[in-house]
Amino acid sequence: MAKIIIDSQEIECRDGVTALQAAIEAGWDVPHYCYHPGLSVVASCRLCLMEMKMPHPQTKEMGWAPKLLPSCQTPAREGMEIRFNTEKVKKNQENCMEFFLLNHPLDCPVCDQAGECHLQDYSYKFGKAESRMVDQKLKNPKKDIGPRTLLYSDRCVMCTRCVRFTQEVSGTHELSIVNRGSRVEIDVFPGLPLDNPLQGNVVDICPVGCLLDKDFLFQRRVWELKRGESVCPGCARGCSISIDHVDEKVYRLKPRFNPKVNDWWMCDEGRFGYEYIHDKKRISSPLVRRGLEQTTPNWEDVPAVLRYRFEQFVKAQGGAKVVAVLSPFMANEEAWLLAKFIRDVAPEASLAIGPVPYEGDDQIFPAKASGDGIKFTILKEKAPNRKGIESLLESLGGSTLTCEQFVEKAGAGEFMAAWVVGGYPKPWVDKDTAKLAGKFDLLVAQDIFENEFTTKADIVLPACAWAEREGSFTNADGLSQPFHWAIVPPDGARRDGQYLFEIAGETGLFSAARVREMMAASVPNLSQVYESQRKPAHAH
Amino acid sequence: MAAFEPVLLRNRGVEGSTTLKVYESRGGYQAVRKALKQTPDEIVAEVKKANLRGRGGAGFPAGVKWGFLPKDRKKTLLCVNGDESEPPTFCNRVLMEHDPHQLIEGTIIAAYAVQAQTVYIYLRGEFHEQFHIVQKAVDQAYAAGYLGKKIFGSDFSIEMYLHRGAGAYVCGEETGLIESLEGKRGWPRIKPPFPAIEGAFRLPTVVNNVETLSCVPHIIERGADWFTGIGPAHSAGPKLFCISGPVKRPGCYEGAMDITVRELIEREDMGGGMIDGKHVKAVFPGGCSMGILSADELDMKLDFDDPRNFGLLGLGTAAAVVIPHDMDMRVVLRNMARFYGTESCGQCTQCREGTAWMHKIATRIAADAGRPEDLDVLLETARNMGMMPGLSICGLPDGATFPIETTVKKFRSELEEYILAQPKGRAEYLLRVLN
Repeated sequence: MAKIIIDSQEIECRDGVTALQAAIEAGWDVPHYCYHPGLSVVASCRLCLMEMKMPHPQTKEMGWAPKLLPSCQTPAREGMEIRFNTEKVKKNQENCMEFFLLNHPLDCPVCDQAGECHLQDYSYKFGKAESRMVDQKLKNPKKDIGPRTLLYSDRCVMCTRCVRFTQEVSGTHELSIVNRGSRVEIDVFPGLPLDNPLQGNVVDICPVGCLLDKDFLFQRRVWELKRGESVCPGCARGCSISIDHVDEKVYRLKPRFNPKVNDWWMCDEGRFGYEYIHDKKRISSPLVRRGLEQTTPNWEDVPAVLRYRFEQFVKAQGGAKVVAVLSPFMANEEAWLLAKFIRDVAPEASLAIGPVPYEGDDQIFPAKASGDGIKFTILKEKAPNRKGIESLLESLGGSTLTCEQFVEKAGAGEFMAAWVVGGYPKPWVDKDTAKLAGKFDLLVAQDIFENEFTTKADIVLPACAWAEREGSFTNADGLSQPFHWAIVPPDGARRDGQYLFEIAGETGLFSAARVREMMAASVPNLSQVYESQRKPAHAH
Repeated sequence: MAAFEPVLLRNRGVEGSTTLKVYESRGGYQAVRKALKQTPDEIVAEVKKANLRGRGGAGFPAGVKWGFLPKDRKKTLLCVNGDESEPPTFCNRVLMEHDPHQLIEGTIIAAYAVQAQTVYIYLRGEFHEQFHIVQKAVDQAYAAGYLGKKIFGSDFSIEMYLHRGAGAYVCGEETGLIESLEGKRGWPRIKPPFPAIEGAFRLPTVVNNVETLSCVPHIIERGADWFTGIGPAHSAGPKLFCISGPVKRPGCYEGAMDITVRELIEREDMGGGMIDGKHVKAVFPGGCSMGILSADELDMKLDFDDPRNFGLLGLGTAAAVVIPHDMDMRVVLRNMARFYGTESCGQCTQCREGTAWMHKIATRIAADAGRPEDLDVLLETARNMGMMPGLSICGLPDGATFPIETTVKKFRSELEEYILAQPKGRAEYLLRVLN
């Protein structure tokens, strides 16, 4: 901890940070565009300039330096004295804002960024009300730079964050700077569009409306969106994300700062992997089959029906023939509740983990980086909670099976009653697994989409997408992170946690935190979760 | 006044002056032989004692610059700044065209002094002919064993490369030059670290101007005392002056830094006075970036310190361009603004937007659509862009604002007359048409 003085106030800052970062973390609102804590410093926007006390070159006496210095570039040193509240600093901020807006089209009414635009915020807070420029504005072109991204270079403030991102984080170097002076533009090379698995981040780090996401373009005004804090279920890495939604519809996913996992970034696969939530083909109500007869039970009756059916089965054929397949898409709390129910009705029942989807290889960014040079990783394991389920099975003990063992034993007819949980966004039942569906006397299928299991199941329960659920995922590094529901499930469906809570014999409303308390005795390692805080406050 | 005996230009006009043979026959490559018998520190001390101030524009003492290098460095680079792109300046060009071996000799001595075994000569892209001349001279020096391994039989080895820029004003700034040399976009770097600590390819780097290095052999050969004996104490040594515009003898001349602008224009062995009975209205005495002088300020001394007394940025490149009495100052203003508007690199906000805005205003004034308040806007924009001390990464905006500010301040009445003489309502009409 170094002590520095900002505007005559002494504050403590973390070691190794810049003066700008120290000021922001201590609560100062210092305008900045080019500075981003995850990227190198270029000090080119000149908005964060400050006054600093320095020794006089001849007399060595400490005094305010006549030159304004960039706070983003100056390291915070013990005893250093800086100030932002002077006329000179404020005048520079005001002038910079005037310069930024000289050629800006001021098309906020049709701009997606409006509402979360730092050009708007800073103009309001630090800028002038009027521009003195009467001449024609320079109009740089709007460009389609990739399959998912547009670049409106007339709105650009040349912070070059996006260029540095492609150089330093994704390591793909698609973006570059062309031309000179005020005609300077960000551009891609001919025939080489911005198309890398992390490209969506350039839209996030763009402080203005220059880089736009085609997926979100003209969909909603950002001030209408509500923000839910969640964890990405796309792979086993568990990046912290926020779900921007309104009217029970998800509009976009954005990364949330998490120093333990994803820093400021997320991949496109996670970012755009939410469309299945709003798929019309989702199962949205429970179903009970008796022979050819199908009924939709009331949710209130479901726990009793299930308990009765399982108890009858155990009485007739014995508890050892019961198995529950826990999907790696389930939250720890849901999996625990289901396991509790199964072991309740049949203490000798087996618990198995469902199939874990893998795609390709782990991808690291920048490619070929190692050690601290790795800025981002996308894992090949495309399920959020394998580690959590495995850990749960290990803690609960008894008869536990891997996926392969389950397929083998079920194929041999060792199990006659099964509860199979899916919840995969993509079809997951392969040929071998599909053959199992007809082998059970009692089959409960809990899934999002129709498949071989749900069509043959005696009881079908609708599963919810992660954006509608609550719980915690344990990522590949063993870190358990909580996620919260953002939207409500489709009409007729209920949150998995809620009905599993009731099926497990509890009453009242399901809350993940409450279940974690209940889990503490049997599964202590999953009952503690890490939630990334927005502290220390970081630059935008 | 005693005629100045040329030092840097002594080989100009001699037949075959670019060849090694002629250069050696006139006493060339003796200084480097002498230098290699001394220790590097002795040479640095000698150059420091001579107070050789950088000829590139800023006037920073070369010896002091060399002293900034870290003591425990393993590898050092020397870059020769031949990106001479200040508008009316052509002294480096003359030196390279007529006496490339003098530059090579000075470079070898400087490289030995800072123990740099790799030297890059960075030439601006437009120097086609000069590139071939210097390349030929370098080849001759290699053939003679003056460059390469164990030069002149000593233990010191040196490799020299020529690098041609792509034609950007900002690459004359030392860190812009270094970026360009590395093959990147010529955007000046943030300092610290300064090039002496971490420059090209992350190695300690010294960047010196062509003319500065051309002075070095003479300092070594004749001693620091001889050098400081030329001109005033704070601006010692011979200096090249360029003069262009409607004078009788436009060109590059050498002299001590004790002459005035008037002498540069009038002296028979220099400018030779104005042509066709024109008289001086204004002069940019040190390259455009330094600012303008009005006709009654011609007694300004062309040394490193006096220009400050006249509201100028400094001596700059000591390249004067004379503006005759019949020139419209609005055109001068527009011309200056256009240059910086197109040459700003686009990195820092103030410079990127400010230069372009000033160009727009100046263009409009020149097109008879000026408004009286435009002059104030110009002055304020210039100040907002940062003038000594600057607000940007490099010094380009300082250089961009001084000519505009001094022109508007010193010729305000003339510009206002033009604006008031515009037909009534024309400015508003043209504004509508232009927009």
